[in-house]
Amino acid sequence: MKSFTQNPSRRLFLRQAASFSALGTAAPFAMNLAALGSAAAQTTSDYKALVCVFLSGGNDAYNTVLATDSASWSSYNAVRNLGGESIALNSSQVLPLNPVNALPRGRTMGLHPQLTGLQTLFNQHRRLAIVGNVGPLVEPVTKDEYMRQARRLPSKLFSHNDQQATWQAMAPEGVSKGWGGRLADLMAADNGNSLFTGISVGGNAVWVTGQTVKQYQLAPGKVPRFGVYANADGVDRIYGSAEAGEALKRIGSAYRAGNPFESDLREVGRRSIAAERVLSTALPSETQAPFGPSTQLLYRRPDGVTEINPLAQQLQMVARSIAARGSLGMKRQVFFVNLGGFDTHDGQMAKHAVLMARLSHAMAYFDTVIQSLGMGNNVTTFTASDFGRTFTSNGDGSDHGWGAHHFVMGGAVQGGTLVGELPVYGTKQANSNQFDGSPDQIANGAMLPKVSVDQYASVLGRWFGASSGALQTIFPNLANFSAPTNFLG
Amino acid sequence: MNSLTFLRGSSSWMKTTITLLSLATLTACGGGGGGGDSSSDSSGLSDSGYATEQAVLQPVSTNTVAKPANRQEAARFLTQATFGPTDESINRLMSIGYSAWLQEQFASKSARTYVSYWDKRTAALKIERRNAGAIATSTEINHAFWAKAVADKDQLRQRVAFALSEIFVISMQEGCAASNTRGTSSYMDMLGQKAFGTYRDLLESVTLHPIMGCYLSHLRNQKENPATGRVPDENFAREIMQLFSIGLVQLNPDGTPKLDTSGRPLETYGPTDVSGLAKVFTGWSFSCPDWPQDGCFLWGMKGTNPNYNPLKWISPMRPYAKYHSTSEKRFLGTVIPPQSTPDPAGSLKVALDTIANHPNVGPFIGKQLIQRLVTSNPSPAYVKRVASVFNASKGSLQATVVAILMDPEARDMTKVNDPSFGKVREPLLRLSAVLRAYQATSQTGDYLLWSTHDPATGLGQAPLQSPSVFNFFRPGYTAPNSFTSGEGLVAPELQIVHESSAAGYVNTLVGALTYGLGAKGYTNTSSTPDVRFNYQINPSNPLFNMSPEALVEDANQRLMYGTLPEYLRTEIVNAVKSVYVGSKTKQTAEDAAETRRRRVMTAVLLVAASPEFQVQK
Repeated sequence: MKSFTQNPSRRLFLRQAASFSALGTAAPFAMNLAALGSAAAQTTSDYKALVCVFLSGGNDAYNTVLATDSASWSSYNAVRNLGGESIALNSSQVLPLNPVNALPRGRTMGLHPQLTGLQTLFNQHRRLAIVGNVGPLVEPVTKDEYMRQARRLPSKLFSHNDQQATWQAMAPEGVSKGWGGRLADLMAADNGNSLFTGISVGGNAVWVTGQTVKQYQLAPGKVPRFGVYANADGVDRIYGSAEAGEALKRIGSAYRAGNPFESDLREVGRRSIAAERVLSTALPSETQAPFGPSTQLLYRRPDGVTEINPLAQQLQMVARSIAARGSLGMKRQVFFVNLGGFDTHDGQMAKHAVLMARLSHAMAYFDTVIQSLGMGNNVTTFTASDFGRTFTSNGDGSDHGWGAHHFVMGGAVQGGTLVGELPVYGTKQANSNQFDGSPDQIANGAMLPKVSVDQYASVLGRWFGASSGALQTIFPNLANFSAPTNFLG
Repeated sequence: MNSLTFLRGSSSWMKTTITLLSLATLTACGGGGGGGDSSSDSSGLSDSGYATEQAVLQPVSTNTVAKPANRQEAARFLTQATFGPTDESINRLMSIGYSAWLQEQFASKSARTYVSYWDKRTAALKIERRNAGAIATSTEINHAFWAKAVADKDQLRQRVAFALSEIFVISMQEGCAASNTRGTSSYMDMLGQKAFGTYRDLLESVTLHPIMGCYLSHLRNQKENPATGRVPDENFAREIMQLFSIGLVQLNPDGTPKLDTSGRPLETYGPTDVSGLAKVFTGWSFSCPDWPQDGCFLWGMKGTNPNYNPLKWISPMRPYAKYHSTSEKRFLGTVIPPQSTPDPAGSLKVALDTIANHPNVGPFIGKQLIQRLVTSNPSPAYVKRVASVFNASKGSLQATVVAILMDPEARDMTKVNDPSFGKVREPLLRLSAVLRAYQATSQTGDYLLWSTHDPATGLGQAPLQSPSVFNFFRPGYTAPNSFTSGEGLVAPELQIVHESSAAGYVNTLVGALTYGLGAKGYTNTSSTPDVRFNYQINPSNPLFNMSPEALVEDANQRLMYGTLPEYLRTEIVNAVKSVYVGSKTKQTAEDAAETRRRRVMTAVLLVAASPEFQVQK
């Protein structure tokens, strides 16, 4: 099999070429990549992790990555700045981006004023790429085809829970296997402890669960012990009794045939006890460098108040887990973290600014820590969200949309690039919010995705080590798109 | 119709079904249940909050009073209908029977309300903290929840209100409900007051509650403006359909999805229904002395005076014609024609009538209430029976709750051995059952529990702290790669069961059984936690005189209505026996007392931590 790096049509935003030179010799790594690309051999000697940063509620991509050329800005301002509680950002405060290659058609772009950390990662460190207008698709669809209902579309568009599931697992709520977990399925055999192959620090997330990989859920901070405590002798006890301590653990965790609800609870108990036993010694302290001190978790809100960043807390636990990869025997891991509050139907300007500040601080913190661990090229972090939001304003907020821009961060990333395109911004028509002037915007200016989630995810999956065949299986709609990952061409 | 039998022994289930339907008919004929009163509220002109209760079931004369066959049956019923059985509640139910017990509960209303507690504590906090600006917060809402759950007598009302709070969700995880906790208090009171009225009335009260208006952003929502491109906020329009009434797919009366010719579920609505309905929810905002001035619409105040309108977060929202869309509104097959004079109340009535009369509501809401009270996987026939009572009673929640609790599938004791029956107890209900079973009381009387929200140190669940309007868990959740999913079972509560929260639950029990729970008094300066079990304050509690075998059997009866399996009994008895303090040869009296105390704790802990208890059967 030909190394995909030699195939321009498969040139990805992940920076293989840079990785080669970093290693000094291109050939072994290329061979390794080729090996990773074949279904037969997925044995790994290196370490890779995918980290999904989920922005729950549907992030307003229009105010996250902004088209700043004058034509785009004029449309943006006309639609979003209705006076009163405008949802248009001030152009002078938008953070300019300097992409490696100029954007087509003379367009320019910038970031939300609170995304200072991401601006540095994009402009200076070149460790951040932007993927424009991504969303769930079954097959490519033009605006005309969408209006005529001439193409198959994902079901239950615009619905939070269903589109969260679709982003994470390619189907609406009820789907049981996510693509993070399914990618991890392919590699789990290389891991010394299967328990930690898929970890969520952000609550229950189907993305992490595969065929064999089950998500292990961690809370930030300390890993709780299952009831028992141990004195200096190391014996687990309850109310002074080692026998009772053992009984508690057996009752809570030992498999018994019978009631399936009880069996599920016991399995969770078993995993809780087994994981804590290992992690209590394997995880480095959250207060020690580079994870701490805890002041690193503080971010500055737009109103000047300094407080703990809940997303950074979660990513700290991810970083600690990655630091423990050696003692845990891990080669491939997927992690999920979650930042909520993005359903900005109202009060959007203030709410979204806080969320952007959290996102920027947490991503920059995580990148710094990961690089301190020497894992800068081994961890790829990306964002996902329910959907983008409408271009139009409902007065002081925006409503559920479809496509959205997303960030990919790490040393393997073709940093400083825009993958895909920003949508053409339609100008407002009298008495219509159909945005006839834009081929990329549907009713109320929601983005019609040009890059499918399958494409976006398959790029990440290929970097992670999945073969083409495996990717076609995990992302069955990939075949519907003319060229594999053509959004990167 | 005058003769009503809920239950005739435990054998004649067919008889039960028939009599339930007659109850439903009775309710509909009874005058209060039809929902006809609800339109009178739709002007929102009343500032009186939500004091009126509608659809009170007419007194029922009964020739036969069915009673639980034994204490286990009674305790099982009370596990479904309350926050957990107590000796007292079992005695009462055994004594008066199901029908009278239900009537008693329908009439019962605790004097303690969320708002009254909020007011009381706000007044006290100003003094305790020497701060005139101090007010009650989510902490006090947590207290009120536990006080009602553990101590108050209107258990069925509060249990149903809690279930409703998991369907008609607001959450203090976000600004509106967290920052305006007097309003959040009144929302909970409203759910309690409307719990036994009609669905239509509840839906209107939910829609017009300002905290819901803020949470789902239809408060202050304005009509479209074609000139500027402004569109109505679609948030509430979408969620009232998806979550509060009909759901995404068309349902058969038994709750199964209707399919098209190629076997795909038929959707109930599309984007145009959402945008059409969104126009209805324009022009609603605060109730205000200066209504309908702009300052009221926008801020609920006059000028910049924040003290002008203390009722704004607890009074139903009112219509503001100026901001209401007058264009045609199409949704769910209904058309509200263009209005020459904007008529927000008229639009709302049509919309809520349309939604409430949708055939999905009975199975959609009925099934979720079954799941909250009785079992995660009701048979389609059970759902159909409940939905038919819902429909026949014109959406009486009282009749629906009776149908749910008195259904043969709920009452059949043999179901405790059916592995597909029952549900994982959600963490709050596990703790409430333990607190009630072991006679926990509060020193202050106000149940000053800390929030149990954190999964690693608490329960991973606290009242009104869901991460989003989609609740803590979804009614159709199946745990991936699980035993339940292998059996084709949904298990909603498993959505918040994970490796950290499993440990958090057991650790919470260990701490509670050892020390009690909650703050050490209002100012956290007392010597003991506010909420303690009777054995923690009563040295002559009979538990101290029980043998290990008796302790475990006692826990079996209190917590599991006699369903403790033998293997587990043996395991726990041995563990209790292993607990021993002091010299094996010559135990001091103090060590003997400590041994007895620890054995009580061990027996309760191991039963309550067992998966067998955690699954309500």
